Amino acid sequence: MVKYLFKRLLHGLLSIVAVVVIVMVMVYSLMDRTLIFASDSLYSKQLNNNKTVYMYKRWAQYGYLDCVTYSDYLNLLAKNGEIDEETKAAAAVLGRTADKDSAITKEYTAKFAEYYQSQGYEPVRLDAVLLNKKVAQGGQAQLFAYRDYPVLTRLTKYFTSIFTIDNIHSVENYKGERGLEFTLYDPVYGGEKFSPAIIGSGTNHRYLFYVDSTFPYVHQNFLTVSLGTSYTVNKGVDVFDTMNKSQGSYKQMLITYPSGLTEMSADDLHSATYVENSLETSAVYATRFVDDYTNVKTYKNNMSKVGYSFVIGIIATIIAYLLGIPLGIVMAKNKDKLVDKLGTIYIVFIIAVPSLAYIFLFKAIGGVIGLPTTFVMDTASKAMFILPIVSLALPSVASLMKWMRRYMIDQMNSDYVKFARSGGLTESEIFSKHISKNALIPIVHGIPGSILGAITGAIITERVYVVPGAGNLLTQAINSYDNGVIIGLTMFYAILSVLSIILGDILMALIDPRISFESKDR
Amino acid sequence: MSDLEKKYNLSEKELFSRIDHDSLETEVITAPRYSYWQSVFKVFFRKKINIVILSLFVFIIGFAYIYPSIVPYNSDANLLNGALKHLSPSQAIAAHGFSIHWILGSGAAGQSTFDQMWNGARISISLAFICALINMVVGTIIGAVWGFSKRVDMVMTEVYNIIGNIPYVLLISVLVMLFTASFWTMVFALTVTGWLSIAYFIRTQVIIIRDREYNLASRCLGTSIITIALKNILPFMTSVIVTLAATEIPSYISYEVFLAYIGMGMKDMSLGRIIYAAEASMLTPGWQTEFWAPVILTSIITVVLYVVGQNLGDASDPRTHM
Repeated sequence: MVKYLFKRLLHGLLSIVAVVVIVMVMVYSLMDRTLIFASDSLYSKQLNNNKTVYMYKRWAQYGYLDCVTYSDYLNLLAKNGEIDEETKAAAAVLGRTADKDSAITKEYTAKFAEYYQSQGYEPVRLDAVLLNKKVAQGGQAQLFAYRDYPVLTRLTKYFTSIFTIDNIHSVENYKGERGLEFTLYDPVYGGEKFSPAIIGSGTNHRYLFYVDSTFPYVHQNFLTVSLGTSYTVNKGVDVFDTMNKSQGSYKQMLITYPSGLTEMSADDLHSATYVENSLETSAVYATRFVDDYTNVKTYKNNMSKVGYSFVIGIIATIIAYLLGIPLGIVMAKNKDKLVDKLGTIYIVFIIAVPSLAYIFLFKAIGGVIGLPTTFVMDTASKAMFILPIVSLALPSVASLMKWMRRYMIDQMNSDYVKFARSGGLTESEIFSKHISKNALIPIVHGIPGSILGAITGAIITERVYVVPGAGNLLTQAINSYDNGVIIGLTMFYAILSVLSIILGDILMALIDPRISFESKDR
Repeated sequence: MSDLEKKYNLSEKELFSRIDHDSLETEVITAPRYSYWQSVFKVFFRKKINIVILSLFVFIIGFAYIYPSIVPYNSDANLLNGALKHLSPSQAIAAHGFSIHWILGSGAAGQSTFDQMWNGARISISLAFICALINMVVGTIIGAVWGFSKRVDMVMTEVYNIIGNIPYVLLISVLVMLFTASFWTMVFALTVTGWLSIAYFIRTQVIIIRDREYNLASRCLGTSIITIALKNILPFMTSVIVTLAATEIPSYISYEVFLAYIGMGMKDMSLGRIIYAAEASMLTPGWQTEFWAPVILTSIITVVLYVVGQNLGDASDPRTHM
């Protein structure tokens, strides 16, 4: 069993990698690159040559290509001690066109082109844009070199950056002694309350391990997951964070900063990360912190995107199973009678009518009854959860009814049921002890899938009821051409779908002793 | 000389003729003739409800194709007259006089909701039929090969597992972004991987009947694989394929509506685009018809297509012909 599962997991992993490769090719190579600037306000403000440079810089930032400007090159030379500041300043002045360069600039631009061409880069020289014989705004001459990443490089870069392990050498220029400190009395709680924590110096996170009052109570920062940085959806923030961060209004609490200052704040001191020289440059930080671990996240009052999707999804799933299975059994028991016919009409309605139509129908009916039809965060009432849950549960009820009825009827016609009947068992005994048990096995296979599916959310339901969930993230990312988020979410979805199939198989094997992974071809 | 020859005064040759065993004669079947498709329709029309639904089906398809082609429709005709926009049915009839165009009121550009709806229906139904045709043909052929060949099975199962993990929305939207969002882009996006799930379904069915005794016997007698596939297995699959097509065709309409709603549909005013554009009208008193009319028409079309297909699928199963 273990060997088989290992093989399956390995297979699943390969399939995940393949999916990411396909999506990467689609998104990075096939799609028009300029589309990512569609909703970038900074981009539209750039003019002439500056616009081109801005584009290349952004592409470099979001993993399309590697881009080196001429001034970067000169800085590098200066840093290595190959040229002094004077030559650097003289060489940095570009003429309006390549012919008008000074001798020293000509020398270094030639070196620049030669050096980067040998490494497979393509040098680009943009001549100055003139307006009335003067250089137009943003029209200065530019020189840079770029190189497209091959798919393989991009892929290895992506996969190696998913997991980051924080250690005491993570911060490069750490002032002070590096090390880990284990304490039983967490200083965030005043240093008196018993609460174990591991505090790092020279690590990226201040707290590598701590305990607090929010789910799942025990937290770690040794291992950080990053799926891809967002460009437009949540600028500069990782997809994984975007999905898991709490939302809404700030949750103010009385907290004590490392400096001893006590005030009402929403800062989460456990999330502090290192930012170089931040203490010296900011007066706000100077009064609160004692070192450069100043970058903190904030507590907010509401659940994360995944949280909302999961709560709605999981309740809907439970309701669906509680209703769908008994209804399917009732339909099978009363085959071709009124109940069965009504159930079939309902199933046909759900299958044939576009989901959009019946969700709007539920919304309209809910509105007439007086239920809230839109989701508003920071309200105490839980009534707004009702309609999204109902809209998600009712279609799943239909599909569970359909399959349960089908499996029950298949089982009812099998020989062992006739045998049981001839053996004198009552009908209810046959149904509850024999048929239901066998019919439930294929149903059980779908349970992990529906639970994990609850995390990803439902696109239409969340959009119709304005739920701040994860379901809309992918469409939002696609609509704003946010490639980091697209790749990250695709991988997340692929992992969930691979996992749910494997878990379904395991669950089925646990419930039905006849299913065995050991000897497949007996 | 025998008695008979004497009696009739004929020779033996003239009296008796030899009748040989006629191999052609023995092949004649004396049972009543059975025609598959004739029986299918006989069974289909045995249920009275099917006649009603089929005529509804013919009416909707006919109306969606004929009405827009004979009645000129210009969505921008009343664009400049603010008084003609967002009219309820009674207001529209009062404003324009009674005609079939205004029985459902007018929309955001003063256009007739009724005309717009049927124009949209024509686009959506065409999309569904074209996509279903391509996917069913490709899916069935590849599924048959997939089910027969073990080597193809290994490769295709991997392909299926991998492509199945790519979010469908993503695939379609990237394709829509790559090309312009036209009707044929949409067809391409819905068919580029759409055949795969159909092929997988057919593959499973083929595997189930591939190793039955009659096929084994047929192969032992030297029948080629292609003949087995076409003559032994395909007839068996007809009802499965019809039933599958019955779920596929309406699902493309639903899918088009879904894509349009999340902003990834095509540029043509299909039913999905109309619903998407009229979404805001749903909550405005007096404007609801603009939204609900296309929604209800879409639902009617999908339900009718589904029910006709399912019942035709049932009727095409030879076991119901007895």
